[in-house]
Amino acid sequence: MKELTSPMIIQAQGLRKTFTTRSRKGAQTVEAVRGVDLGVAKGEIFGVLGPNGAGKTTTIRMLATLIAPDAGTATIAGHDLRKEPAQVRRNLGYVSQAGGVEDTTSARAQVMMAARIFAMADPARATAEVLDRFELTELADRPGRTLSGGQKRRVAIAIGLVHNPPLLFLDEPTTGLDPQNRANLWDRIRQLREAGTSVLLSTHYLDEADALCDRLMIVDHGTVVAEGTPSALKREVSGDVITLRVSEPERAAETLKPLARETRVDDDLLRVYVDDGEHTLPALLRALEERGLGLTSIALDRSTLDDVFLAKTGRSLRDAGAAV
Amino acid sequence: MIRHTALFTGYELKKSFSNPIWPLFGLMQPVLYLLMFAPLLKSLTPGGTTVDALRMFTPASMMMIAVFGSLFSGFGLIAELRNGSLERYAVSPAWRPAIVLGRVAKDMVVLVVQAVLVLIGAAAMGVRIGAVELVLVLLLMAATGLFASGLSQGLALTVRDENGMSQTLNLFLLPIMLLAGLFVPISFAPDWMKFLAPVNPLYHAVEAGRALFDGRLGDPSIPIAFGVFVVLAVLTTMWSMRSLGKIAG
Repeated sequence: MKELTSPMIIQAQGLRKTFTTRSRKGAQTVEAVRGVDLGVAKGEIFGVLGPNGAGKTTTIRMLATLIAPDAGTATIAGHDLRKEPAQVRRNLGYVSQAGGVEDTTSARAQVMMAARIFAMADPARATAEVLDRFELTELADRPGRTLSGGQKRRVAIAIGLVHNPPLLFLDEPTTGLDPQNRANLWDRIRQLREAGTSVLLSTHYLDEADALCDRLMIVDHGTVVAEGTPSALKREVSGDVITLRVSEPERAAETLKPLARETRVDDDLLRVYVDDGEHTLPALLRALEERGLGLTSIALDRSTLDDVFLAKTGRSLRDAGAAV
Repeated sequence: MIRHTALFTGYELKKSFSNPIWPLFGLMQPVLYLLMFAPLLKSLTPGGTTVDALRMFTPASMMMIAVFGSLFSGFGLIAELRNGSLERYAVSPAWRPAIVLGRVAKDMVVLVVQAVLVLIGAAAMGVRIGAVELVLVLLLMAATGLFASGLSQGLALTVRDENGMSQTLNLFLLPIMLLAGLFVPISFAPDWMKFLAPVNPLYHAVEAGRALFDGRLGDPSIPIAFGVFVVLAVLTTMWSMRSLGKIAG
């Protein structure tokens, strides 16, 4: 009955998970998730954004009943994660990073098997419907290994949705896809929202989180560093960012401080966060000229989620991702 | 529980037969053994006729198929561990042991078909066996296969790596094969081998199989073999079912 009263489909508090790996160098512990609170409202697309190794997949796997959290509680679709894992699974579609599409069997056979496991009244019809919805009917009888990356992704999601779950988990859904397939998949994920399915998706792509998510949280080193709607998060940092390439970035930063909300030096790049870029630009150029600072290039952009990440963690998400 | 096990058994069987070439190759193997090994063994057998050789070699080949065919079936599980489909089943309402039991059951079905082929081949070459003995031989083969299949699934879920798995299997296969007297009966072996052979469970299965093909129903090797393999099959199947819990890692 809880499902009817609560507007939230996932509510998790204080999730923690520590892994111990044994190697020749002895036991090592990795605190993958260090106290994550998370709430997903019914019908929304909620994103978990962070670099590789931030604890996104571990969080999703805990919520999907695959690994038991060391601490914390969660209620999913009205059921307690620890006490009623079977009920949680029944309400869940789960598409892992690997996808789970088998090589030797056809897409139809795999979707049909899922429909049978979920005890659908008419597995053949449910299969045909979901294959049609993802435009897979023509590919449905080919073995999995003959499908392209984008097609495989669609099959994976079709398998996860055949039982019409109220909640779908997508772990890094577009990793490894070309831009065209990514855009196509984004459209399909948006259609899920229209159909009323709640989606929890993890990603390390800024543009993906920005384009798809109603709300998102940014995670780093197993903790939540920011949470909100993409626009609110960006507003929090500042409206615009002016990126300058100058001869003496440190001195330039000092000069521009009165005009900016925040300045940040990154090698020979200077980022100046301002509320209203268009109107600040003339004053900024004047100030540089008065001090005789040489300017090589200048760019004005709306701030992105990467600027949010940078402001919260002190490093760029692109660098953080590459470092792992 | 039973519904899910049946569901997975059917799914695995369909997968096995979706490309009928591979199961056909698998089915050919026992017949080829029979055709090619029996003539070689003729001079070794006491009676010296083909039928005598077959009576000795047919039960051995059946047990061999049971062990070898099933021991390799775990490789499929490693592939599914990697492509994520096992994880997907673990997050479904499927009764988890059914995921493994379905594969074990599929192996049993394949074994029975292979056994029937071997028996038809042997019968065509003149070997006769009583109805009770026939049923017992099939049951013993099934228990042996169940043990090997359970072991293979458990090993796959523990080792999680094709390379490690094939090395582990190869390490054990040769001694198990030789110490069971599959091709050459242990009675020809030196004393230290005779001493070691009873430690090898397969030795008991082969001895019991030969007793059954000779029509010696009262032979003590038969209850010993059944006792050993029922216990081992239960143990390995339970191990494989528990190993499934480690999917999450």
